[in-house]
Amino acid sequence: MNKIEIYDPAMCCSTGVCGPSVDPELTRLASAVYSLEKKGFDIKRFNLANEPAAFVENALVNQALVDKGPEALPMVLLNGEIVRVASYPTNDEFAQWFGITPEQLQEKPKVKQSIKFSI
Amino acid sequence: MYPLFNPKHVELTPFLFFTGKGGVGKTSVACATAVALADRGKKVLLVSTDPASNLQDVLSVELTGEPIEIPAIANLSAANIDPEAAAKSYREKTVGPYRGKLPDAVLATMEEQLSGACTVEIAAFDEFSRLLSDEAVLEQYDHVVFDTAPTGHTLRLLQLPSAWSGFLDTSTHGASCLGPLAGLEGKKEMYAKAVAALSDFNKTTLLLVARPDTSSLNEAARAAHELKEIGVENQLLIVNGVLQTRHPEDVVSSAFYDRQRRALKDAPTALKQVMTYALPFVAYSLTGADNLRHLFSFYSITTAAAANTAETAEMPGLDRVIADFEANNTRVIFTMGKGGVGKTTVASAIAVGLAERGHRVHLTTTDPADHLGYTFGGGKGNERLSISRIDPAVEVANYKTEVLKDAGDGLTEEELAYLKEDMESPCTEEIALFKAFATVVDKADDEIVVIDTAPTGHTLLLLDSTEAYHKEMSRSAGDVPDSVKKLLPRLRNPKETGVVIVTLAEATPVLEAARLQEDLKRAQIDPKWWIINQSLYAAKTEDPVLRGRAASEKQWIQKVVDELAAKYAVIPWLAEEKIGYDKLKEFSN
Repeated sequence: MNKIEIYDPAMCCSTGVCGPSVDPELTRLASAVYSLEKKGFDIKRFNLANEPAAFVENALVNQALVDKGPEALPMVLLNGEIVRVASYPTNDEFAQWFGITPEQLQEKPKVKQSIKFSI
Repeated sequence: MYPLFNPKHVELTPFLFFTGKGGVGKTSVACATAVALADRGKKVLLVSTDPASNLQDVLSVELTGEPIEIPAIANLSAANIDPEAAAKSYREKTVGPYRGKLPDAVLATMEEQLSGACTVEIAAFDEFSRLLSDEAVLEQYDHVVFDTAPTGHTLRLLQLPSAWSGFLDTSTHGASCLGPLAGLEGKKEMYAKAVAALSDFNKTTLLLVARPDTSSLNEAARAAHELKEIGVENQLLIVNGVLQTRHPEDVVSSAFYDRQRRALKDAPTALKQVMTYALPFVAYSLTGADNLRHLFSFYSITTAAAANTAETAEMPGLDRVIADFEANNTRVIFTMGKGGVGKTTVASAIAVGLAERGHRVHLTTTDPADHLGYTFGGGKGNERLSISRIDPAVEVANYKTEVLKDAGDGLTEEELAYLKEDMESPCTEEIALFKAFATVVDKADDEIVVIDTAPTGHTLLLLDSTEAYHKEMSRSAGDVPDSVKKLLPRLRNPKETGVVIVTLAEATPVLEAARLQEDLKRAQIDPKWWIINQSLYAAKTEDPVLRGRAASEKQWIQKVVDELAAKYAVIPWLAEEKIGYDKLKEFSN
């Protein structure tokens, strides 16, 4: 099975609402990744602000950052090879990589189990 | 009038949180309360977040994050938490290990994302939680007194189940506001306990501290409502600094007194349901155990304070500021400062002054009270001066609608709730406002634009990095508007833009203003002027209580002049509220 890793720039929030303008691209991506995860596909996302270790451990990612600086992000790796620099994959690409239809990416994920407490 | 606050006569819970905007005196009141309780034989822990570390001087002990006993005051222990430092140490913990492993430019983007107000807020909550959830603390102390309280935004975020579910684990939807919590899943139970203790009527009292002025009382009403809604229902209001007597012959004293009484009479109805106490306006500074004890004895004045009558010195006024901007042909002028320092009045006076000198001026305000309408009194102005208003509430609402329209599709209810709460963060308002006044500046090519607010350095740096980021990101649809792109370089150009920091000659306002300046400098913007507003030191009054306070202003004016300001001006406390164009004209001359 294909494996996707997405290396995000340091972001306030992956939903993109904290930026100077709403970036529908980020919300689209967040939903697609979420839905792929729920389907059990091997997809991981790393935010530089929270998980810098990943950006050091992966030699290819690290080298790209040394060469191009933070502008290289976001970066996408397919089975360990860099397939995209400075942009995110489209839903079509996701679908192709995982052998599903783009429509399947838009299915609403079920509400997750969560711990609730109230005050 | 309200009864005077005295911890002796009020039933107090184990946890006491004092809250209020900077400069209302919550650290002093918290400290005086802690001393009063300790004097009565209660074991008290005082937890301060005062970055001024005033407390260290008061108690003559070097304080740390861990409670230590105060030798001079029996039964009292104290700890000082610096949320800025806590946030910084969190930042360093996150970024530090990667120095040398990732390029500096990459590290810089990480640091900026971890430099927001939210990070500081959560870092502070993390520190509170340790004390609130630790049962040993209540075995050891009868009262734990905090000189600040978490905001409604923080509590609501923590209340959302999504804060704890997979969002943080998978970090597909991790939000900035919970930055310091990410990866700290192990603390879930501690936070839950802390939140529960906060809303327990028998455990926690929220003491809202306000000044007897309209903006401070409105702010207290807002905080009271917000925290009540989230379950912190045991609330008291303390109106701090109520002038007890006036000198009928002294113009300043009478006006000061009348204005306070009027503000109290017109206090928001929401506050009428909260048990309210008053504390007197005092001539002495609330440092040193003796002065703290005097506060609840309701001494307005001490012998030492009475002796310390300051001479009035000649200081540069607002006219210098206006002349300087004129001479330098400054096109965009921002006045910035925390709430209640009078930045709208200062902005109006600068605008009027420039218009009077023959320039075309556009003045825009974000004052939610529409202070400008009030300031100009609806009277006739000057044809060279135009005025507009940016309503933060409207801008934020528009922004939220836009976000939900663009981003809300396909999200689960849980994700949507998260998205909505994320937008309650202070950053959202700042960004929405920045966009709005970028539009104003963009439209005004042949006018001088005066704006009564300014973006923080954090917002500017975020916008800046986003701009660079968007340049590279060919596919991005969410673009930075042109007006914003054009404004950024203009802001950095000192030939074109002047930033004026407005503050009061008191400890907290000066320190907060210093922090604003630091933050702007990070974004390569150097504030040009500091204006010390509403100075009693510069006013002419014979009222001994007000004179005493005037004397204590001296050291803060000195600090601004010597350490902080490139150029400074002082505006005296004015007996009249500046209403109308003609009055403002006088004001600016």
